[in-house]
Amino acid sequence: MAAATCWQQVWAAAQQPPPRFRSFTEPEAAEIAALAETILPEDDGTPGAKTAGVIRFIDAALAGHDEHKRPLYRTGLQQVQQQRRALFPDSSSIAALLTDQRIALLRAVEDTPFFSQLRRHTVMGFFCHPKYGGNRDQVGWKHIGFEPKMHHHHPFGAYEQEPE
Amino acid sequence: MKPMRRYSTREAVDFAVIGAGAAGGVVASELAKAGFSTVVLEQGPWLQQKDFAHDELAVMQRSLYINDHRKQPNTFRRRPEEQAKVQPAIEYARMVGGGSVHFTANYWRFHPNDFRERSLFGGVPGADLRDWPIPYDELEPYYTRAEWELGIAGQAGANPFDGPRSKPYPLPPLPVKSSGVLLDRAAKKLGLHSYPAPMAILSQPYRGRAACSECGYCEAFGCEMGAKSSTLAALIPGAVATGNCEIRPHSYVQRIETGADGRVNGVLYCDARRRTLRQRAKAVVVCANGAETPRLLLLSASKQHPQGLANGNGLVGKYLMFDTGIFVHGVFAKPLNEYKGAVVSRVIQDYYAADPKRGFYGGAGLDARYDLYPMTFALDGMPKDEPQWGAEWKKNIGYRYTRMMGILAHLSCLAVERNSISLDPEVKDAWGLPAIRVTFENHADDLKNMQWAADRSKEVLDAAGAEKIWQDKVASMTYSLHLMGTCRMGDDPRHSVVNRWHRSHDVKNLFLVDGSSLVTCGRQQPTATIQALAFRAAEHMAKAARNGELA
Ligand SMILES: Cc1cc2nc3c(=O)[nH]c(=O)nc-3n(C[C@H](O)[C@H](O)[C@H](O)COP(=O)(O)OP(=O)(O)OC[C@H]3O[C@@H](n4cnc5c(N)ncnc54)[C@H](O)[C@@H]3O)c2cc1C
Repeated sequence: MAAATCWQQVWAAAQQPPPRFRSFTEPEAAEIAALAETILPEDDGTPGAKTAGVIRFIDAALAGHDEHKRPLYRTGLQQVQQQRRALFPDSSSIAALLTDQRIALLRAVEDTPFFSQLRRHTVMGFFCHPKYGGNRDQVGWKHIGFEPKMHHHHPFGAYEQEPE
Repeated sequence: MKPMRRYSTREAVDFAVIGAGAAGGVVASELAKAGFSTVVLEQGPWLQQKDFAHDELAVMQRSLYINDHRKQPNTFRRRPEEQAKVQPAIEYARMVGGGSVHFTANYWRFHPNDFRERSLFGGVPGADLRDWPIPYDELEPYYTRAEWELGIAGQAGANPFDGPRSKPYPLPPLPVKSSGVLLDRAAKKLGLHSYPAPMAILSQPYRGRAACSECGYCEAFGCEMGAKSSTLAALIPGAVATGNCEIRPHSYVQRIETGADGRVNGVLYCDARRRTLRQRAKAVVVCANGAETPRLLLLSASKQHPQGLANGNGLVGKYLMFDTGIFVHGVFAKPLNEYKGAVVSRVIQDYYAADPKRGFYGGAGLDARYDLYPMTFALDGMPKDEPQWGAEWKKNIGYRYTRMMGILAHLSCLAVERNSISLDPEVKDAWGLPAIRVTFENHADDLKNMQWAADRSKEVLDAAGAEKIWQDKVASMTYSLHLMGTCRMGDDPRHSVVNRWHRSHDVKNLFLVDGSSLVTCGRQQPTATIQALAFRAAEHMAKAARNGELA
């Protein structure tokens, strides 16, 4: 390769924004995010996996502590795509499916190791300490009414205040 | 504070203590206070209050404090005829303070009858139910010492089923929670006796330590306030201050060495830089818990002790007892917010004693709690016959988290010979040593007791007014947080590994002091008993050393 083209490539790369994901390509991330949103959907005005930044969490986990689970994601996603093409031959991606179609798709793969790992990671990303990239603005904790505090004061609940 | 005294590895110290956990912390501090040079070898790190954090992912999902199964795997099988598979089965905190740092802090004394169940109940086919070599009365002064030295909150006399006590608790009970109020109400309706939970958590400042701030991160976490009465917070600083005690973290003991006379004379351990070092000692005390103590004894086989140390009769590792229990879940109309504060505030022990009329051996201590942190709750908290993902599931977890309370029934677990800790013939840990192989299956009576206790728990939740109730499945336990009974104590050397003073029947200067000594396991919550035994054993060891018996 000529030195000039090589230099041009470096220059071109430097003009690109840094990749947003460490473990996924952009299209992969969009597919995984769509699956996570099906597991924990935005509903009744309460935020779901997308708002919580679950995909950020999963991406970071697969680049660190759970690096050994990357192959499971790779083959798992392939299987889900196959299943999608079987169920919805006209579809182009998971992200482009309608909500009900995505639910049907996940039902079809519910018993696979990939699904159980993805559910696990989705829940982790929804309820982890925000420093891990998920649970953005503590939306997970707020959803269940959990207030993280170093000091709590009595009474904690309704029953301590009730007359007998 | 003065810097910690350091000992040379070549100097034969009076005592090498292996493991700085619930028992090891007691033994080390008592021996150091009695004036003996003591080196404590602990495989885990020496963390401080400031190192603990509210991080569920790291602590609950990524083994931050516990034995990391990727580095220290174990194998599991139900029965000896099966091939064991790699599958996490045991959990303990791997750090200075051991299980006392991350435990939930329920601090129950055993009942006087726990020490003589064989005499009271009779034999149980398929199990080896035995009386202890010592009665409750002999241990009572040491329960009291443990409660006062560590700082236990509770109300003396409130539990009608407790044995006699020589002194009240040093601290008043922690405030009642909504679960406690509901348990009190249910107990009243059903004619049962609920009482304030005895907890190893400071309800008021005590001996220079701060009181609990009710943050709610007790179970599985370390306390940032120093209010949990771990050996790390309550005893280790005093032990170090004597100038006779060196705590050596990151010291993984791999072998106890034997001299030509058959007595032990030192330990081989691996430090953080993976160097193998030898600490010489006049006597060795193993406090590595009910799983690691038998493993280390088996790893220490020698010409003098070909079957493993202290294992002349082949009983090392046998009669493993698991943390047996069952959880019944309840949803209530109004928020309880059980995630705040110490886990348990009320207990019922009316069903504790075994009763032959039930048709099986077993008993239960019930406590009211909801101890699932948010992530664990979302992963495993909903009944299995409901959706586990999607909009409806999300709605359920959102509504229920603050409204749940359960009854955890803490149950008996019969000692069965084939339930054991042994060395896996194939699987190795990250240091190349044979991994622990766990063989465990609950006795049939344990399982009958489980359903019986779940039924009692349902009655309680129903009387408390729960809107929805469901129970976990009755099944033989495959994972345990309480590791008990693998080096039983007894007077008869044919049926036990240590004598009533925790001294090996075979090796005069070797002591085993931890959960492994337990003959029966009460109704779980073994730590008070383990620590009372440790205070008593240390007193005896000091006496023996002064009399020249160990030299
Ligand atoms: C999440 C959780 C909650 C619990 N809650 C309660 C409760 O509410 N009430 C209760 O009574 N009990 C509870 N327990 C159990 C309690 O923690 C144990 O019963 C208790 O800690 C056992 O004490 P021990 O001295 O036998 O062993 P440990 O406390 O386990 O101490 C053993 C120590 O030895 C070290 N060690 C092991 N092998 C080696 C080696 N080869 N070299 C060097 N060091 C070694 C370990 O790292 C550890 O620090 C709980 C346990 C868990 C996991």
